[in-house]
Amino acid sequence: MSLESILAAAKQAIIDIDEDKAVCVAKEALEEGLNPVQVLSEGYSAGIREIGELFSRGEVFLPEMILSAEAMKAATAVLESAITGAAAEKIGKMIFATVEGDVHDIGKSIAIALIQTQGVEVIDLGRDVPVDKIIEAAEEHGAKVIGTSALLTTTMPNQEKLEKVLRERGLRDKYKTIVGGAPCTQRWADKIGADAYAEDAGEGVTKVLELMKS
Amino acid sequence: MSEFFTRMGDGSGVYMTAEEIREDILKGVKDAADRGKIPELTQEEMDYLYKIITMPGNIVGVERGREVVSTSDSGSCKMTYHANIAMERSMAVLVSEKVLGADSVDIGNMDYSYKAVKQIIHNETPVMELAQLNAVMPVLYGSMPNLGLYTKPDGPVENWSELLPLAKIDEARAAQEEAVEHAVRDIVFVAGEMYAAGADGINLDTCGASGDADFLAGLLATEKIKEKYPDLGVEFGAAGEFVLGMHGKIEYDGAKIAGLYPHKQVKLAEKAGANIFGAVVNTNTNMSFPWNIARTVTFVKACTAAAEIPVHVNVGMGVGGIPMSEIPPIDVVTRADKALIEIGKADGL
Repeated sequence: MSLESILAAAKQAIIDIDEDKAVCVAKEALEEGLNPVQVLSEGYSAGIREIGELFSRGEVFLPEMILSAEAMKAATAVLESAITGAAAEKIGKMIFATVEGDVHDIGKSIAIALIQTQGVEVIDLGRDVPVDKIIEAAEEHGAKVIGTSALLTTTMPNQEKLEKVLRERGLRDKYKTIVGGAPCTQRWADKIGADAYAEDAGEGVTKVLELMKS
Repeated sequence: MSEFFTRMGDGSGVYMTAEEIREDILKGVKDAADRGKIPELTQEEMDYLYKIITMPGNIVGVERGREVVSTSDSGSCKMTYHANIAMERSMAVLVSEKVLGADSVDIGNMDYSYKAVKQIIHNETPVMELAQLNAVMPVLYGSMPNLGLYTKPDGPVENWSELLPLAKIDEARAAQEEAVEHAVRDIVFVAGEMYAAGADGINLDTCGASGDADFLAGLLATEKIKEKYPDLGVEFGAAGEFVLGMHGKIEYDGAKIAGLYPHKQVKLAEKAGANIFGAVVNTNTNMSFPWNIARTVTFVKACTAAAEIPVHVNVGMGVGGIPMSEIPPIDVVTRADKALIEIGKADGL
C-alpha cells in the first residue's frame, strides 16, 4: 500500500471505531517501512481530530469517542517501539494538569493523546492539581513545557497563579507555558503572561511542538 | 472607517467595522444552520440584527408592545450571592416582584439539586408558603436533576465518569440508566411537596447537564408530575445547545436524545407535558458578540417556530449570546434580549 493509502486507512479505522483494523494498518505501515510518527500524526490523529469535531457538533457521543481513542491506543502500541527509537528522544517532556479546584479532564486527555503521538513525553498529573505540585513535577522530570487546563471561570485564576509562582521562584524563563479550556482565550493567555494558548486539542499539538522548538 | 464598540465572547471590549460585524453575523448564522440543520436567517433579519448591534446608546429596548415575560433560574438566591445582600429567600421573591418588576421567580436552595433538596424539604416548604402568601406573581421551585450526584461515593450507582475512560461502556450505560430512576423519584417527591406548599410550578433547570440520561430524567419526571399534579406548571430548561451523549443510545418517544438541538429538544419537552421550554445556546468565548448572537438567534428562531409551548431563552453568563464573564455587560445583554425577542420570536427570557 502507498503512504497515502495507509494514512487514509488509519484515519478511517479510527472514525469507524475499528480497533482490529487500526492495529492491522499499523503493522502494515511498519512492514512498508513508513515513518511511524507520520502515520500517527497524519493518519490516526487525523481520525481522532475528525471524531472530536463530530463530538463538538453532537454527531458523535462520548462512548464512541472513548472507543475510538482505545483503537488509537492499540495502534499506537504497535508503533511505539519504532517511535521511541526515532522521534521521542529528540523532542522533549511536558507536564500537563487540570488546575486545582477543577475536576474536568476529558479535553485534557484528548489533547494528551494527540500530543504524545508527536513524540512528546507527556507527564499527566491528572485533575485538581495545586500549582506547587505542577512546578515540583516540572522540576523533577526536567520538562520544557507546562500545560494547564481550566474549564471554569472560577478556576482559571490558578493558571495565573502558576505564572506568578514561577516568576517568584525565578523559574519562569526555564519553562514554556500553554493554557487551554473552554473559558480560556488568547487574550487570557496574554493577560497572565502564558507563552501560548490552544483552542482545542488539534491546535494544542501544533502549539506544543512550536514551544518545544523555541 | 467608522468602528462600533462591541464585545468578544469573554466580555472584553472590541471595536469592529461595519464589514467585520456583517461578516461575523453571516458566519454565525451559517454555523448554526449547518450544525442544527435548520434554516438560515433571511437577509432582512440579518440587516435588522446588524442594526441592533450598532444602535447608538449603551442599552437598547424592544419596541413598545413587544415586551415579554421573564422567568428565572434560582432567582431568589441571586441577590445574596451575586449582590452580596444577605436576604431571606421569600423576601428576595418580593423584592424581585415589587422592586425589580419580575414576572415570576423560582425559589431554589444553594445546593440546587433535587437530591440535596429532598433531605431538607421541611426547610424549603415554609419558604415557599411564605412567598406564596405575599407574592402576586407565579412563584416556582427550581433545582437541577444533576444525575452525577447519584454516583459513588456520593450516591448508590457506579460512577460512569470513571467507567468510561476504562472503556467499560456497557457498565457506564447501565449506571446512568439506574441513576435516572433515582433522580425521577426525587424530582417527583420534591414537586409533590412544593405543590402542597402552594408552588405555581416546578423548574427543572439545566436538564442534560450530565448528558442524555440526565435529560431523560427531566422528561420522565415531567410526565409523572403532570400525571400526579396536573395543575402544577413545569418549566423544562436545557443545559446546552445540544444534548451531550454521555450514554449515546437513550431514546424518548422513539427519538435518540443525544445530539438533539433546541428545535428538537422542545418537541420532547412538549411531549412530556412541559409548560415552558428553556432554550440554551452556548457562547463561544473566542468569537465576537455579533457572531454569537447571530448564531443564537438562528437556533432560537428555529426552536420557536417548531414549539407549541412558550420558549423562554436562557440569557445568562455564557449562554444566549451573553459573554462568559462574571458580570454580563449590560450593552450586549440588552442587545441580545432585543434580538432574541424581535427576530428569534422568543416568548420569554
